[in-house]
Amino acid sequence: MTFASTTSRADSADQTPADVSGRTPLLYLLGSSILWLVVSGLLTLITSIQLHTPQFLAECPVFSYGRTHAMAETSFIYGWLGNAGLGLAVWILARLSGEKLRGGNWVLVGGIFWNIAVLVAVCGLALGDLTSISMYQLPGYVQPLMIIAYGAIAVAGLLAWTGRRREMMYASQWYAIAALFLFPWLLSVAYIMLEVAPVRGVLQAIVGGWYAQGLWTLWIAPLALAAAYYVVPRLSGKVLPGYDTAALGFWTLLVVGGFTGARHLIGGPIPAWISSVAIVMTVTLTFHYIIVFLNLRPSLKGGSVSLSFVAIGLICYVAGGFVDALTSMRAYAAITQFTVYEEAQKQLALYGGASMMLFGALYFAVPRLKGSAWSSGALIKGQFVLSAVGILIVVLSLASAGLVQGNALANAKVNFSDISVQMKPYLLVASAGNLLLLTSSILLAVNFLKTTITCCCCTSDSTKKGAVTS
Amino acid sequence: MKNGSLFFLGLVAALGISWLGIVVASNAQLGSLAGYYDDTDSATYPARPSGLAAQGALVYKDLGCASCHTQQVRRPGFGSDQDRGWGERQSVARDYIYQKSVQLGESRLGQDLTNLAGRKPSAPDQEDLMGLLYHGHGAMPSYAFLFETHKIQGEPSADALKLTGRQRPHAGFEVIPTERAKELVSYLLSLNTTYDYPEARPVADVKGEGEK
Repeated sequence: MTFASTTSRADSADQTPADVSGRTPLLYLLGSSILWLVVSGLLTLITSIQLHTPQFLAECPVFSYGRTHAMAETSFIYGWLGNAGLGLAVWILARLSGEKLRGGNWVLVGGIFWNIAVLVAVCGLALGDLTSISMYQLPGYVQPLMIIAYGAIAVAGLLAWTGRRREMMYASQWYAIAALFLFPWLLSVAYIMLEVAPVRGVLQAIVGGWYAQGLWTLWIAPLALAAAYYVVPRLSGKVLPGYDTAALGFWTLLVVGGFTGARHLIGGPIPAWISSVAIVMTVTLTFHYIIVFLNLRPSLKGGSVSLSFVAIGLICYVAGGFVDALTSMRAYAAITQFTVYEEAQKQLALYGGASMMLFGALYFAVPRLKGSAWSSGALIKGQFVLSAVGILIVVLSLASAGLVQGNALANAKVNFSDISVQMKPYLLVASAGNLLLLTSSILLAVNFLKTTITCCCCTSDSTKKGAVTS
Repeated sequence: MKNGSLFFLGLVAALGISWLGIVVASNAQLGSLAGYYDDTDSATYPARPSGLAAQGALVYKDLGCASCHTQQVRRPGFGSDQDRGWGERQSVARDYIYQKSVQLGESRLGQDLTNLAGRKPSAPDQEDLMGLLYHGHGAMPSYAFLFETHKIQGEPSADALKLTGRQRPHAGFEVIPTERAKELVSYLLSLNTTYDYPEARPVADVKGEGEK
């Protein structure tokens, strides 16, 4: 495997007006995303250690397992995936428009407030403002700010889309626009139905499940796919195979995806039809995963680090879809429900699928945005190997731990306190995997800093020169 | 895809359909669910939580207890929920109507707590729960920050934990629960689903009894 094309000078020469005009705001979003990735990696490692050593940091209320778990999730989803996905989506829309990025200042200001909101949210969680709804661990008071800040960032993407030169749209544009446009509505609905005028009883869990699934199928997955659908044809130099079917895959994800959330509530105190619908829809959704696999399979041949990242992302994304479909079935769900197996599925989708695709696009975007190559090829290689091995270890060990836990839980003869003892060896391995993931994100952060700090010097140099000549 | 406005309409529809299908439809079905009035008891079930228990629910939420404990006994056929003595019947939507913030939970690193105070043959009492919170047990860490060690002034406090061995505080000192610990335990002791609603008896179960 060669990493030549990502670190070569040719990348920085491939600059468009959109790159130059979007440099500061977009590099800001990407930089803050990497910072959040490191923070969430650290928090995830803490929760991972607490699973096998419960007393770890237990005397400190801020780091009690429930709070740390929520902080890790929020900083990962809204800090890392949000910043990186938004930055790349706006960048792709601006590039495909063939014009300069309009509204770059909106992106910068919106990005600053978005990060303030995520920081306030994480601090709020540390002090106990939890919602106890998975993927919706956002204290009520930050949500209006998040929606407004998000709007400011998304405006630039929408402007680039409406002002595009070609009327025809590419698949990456569909996915990017869908993600940019739908998230604020999704969060607003959840905010109204769970915070402003909370619905009663188990309806809260139903709305929460609908939001969490929407966050994945209408926001995170489209952001990642926008990046992948943009990078793969550019780097492989080929038209995507079966591109005609891409539209079908897109609409399947959007229309069907929203119905699949209640599979996590199977057997619970909700009307049975809701989880039955979710099972049917989860199986239907495999159609989307097949199409995405067909379209993006040129990435599997590799050729550059971006393509290798996308390839791993693609494999995890599609595998995640099929595992979801399998475990939504009642016979499997009865075992895996409420176990760390579900955590493994989440990691497979969010880290293995979405994050790997975003890493690929990030390595592609940064040299073009700043006009110079990555400062270290070795760090890129290191991050690739560590993150790929790390996520494999984490997913496999958590899945094994989950199966052990699920089978033990299902057997009433197994003493409850023995279950954690049986899971312990697997959980120790998962902690090692999480340590690798944290190390890999630190490598990325170092490389990004080394690359952009030199860049900041050259921009300040050039602005100085500009000031002198003008 | 060329038509921008049609594309946008599609996006709105995609979000709207799942919202109508899942959220609005279930709201129409369950939104107005009321308590169940029992003529023989002359009482309505579920009971509304007491003030102290409602405070405790907030402590439960803010410590993130729901990240390890569920509060839902699944239907028969789903795992060993009832065999483990977590509840004598499945949980139903009516159980939760008076809970301000529902804590169904999605992980069972810890036990299910739906019917903690109504477990048979023996449900934990206040002393058990205080001890559990202070010491931790198995995979559950100790929540010692919910307790304070005080110098005994005058009479020893009635709330003081009965500690033995190494856990025992120095002579003249005692470990007493904070307000938050008392609220939390009061909440945990309010968790019970002993009342049998008509909808909590699945058809399959009745058949099973007949066969036996």
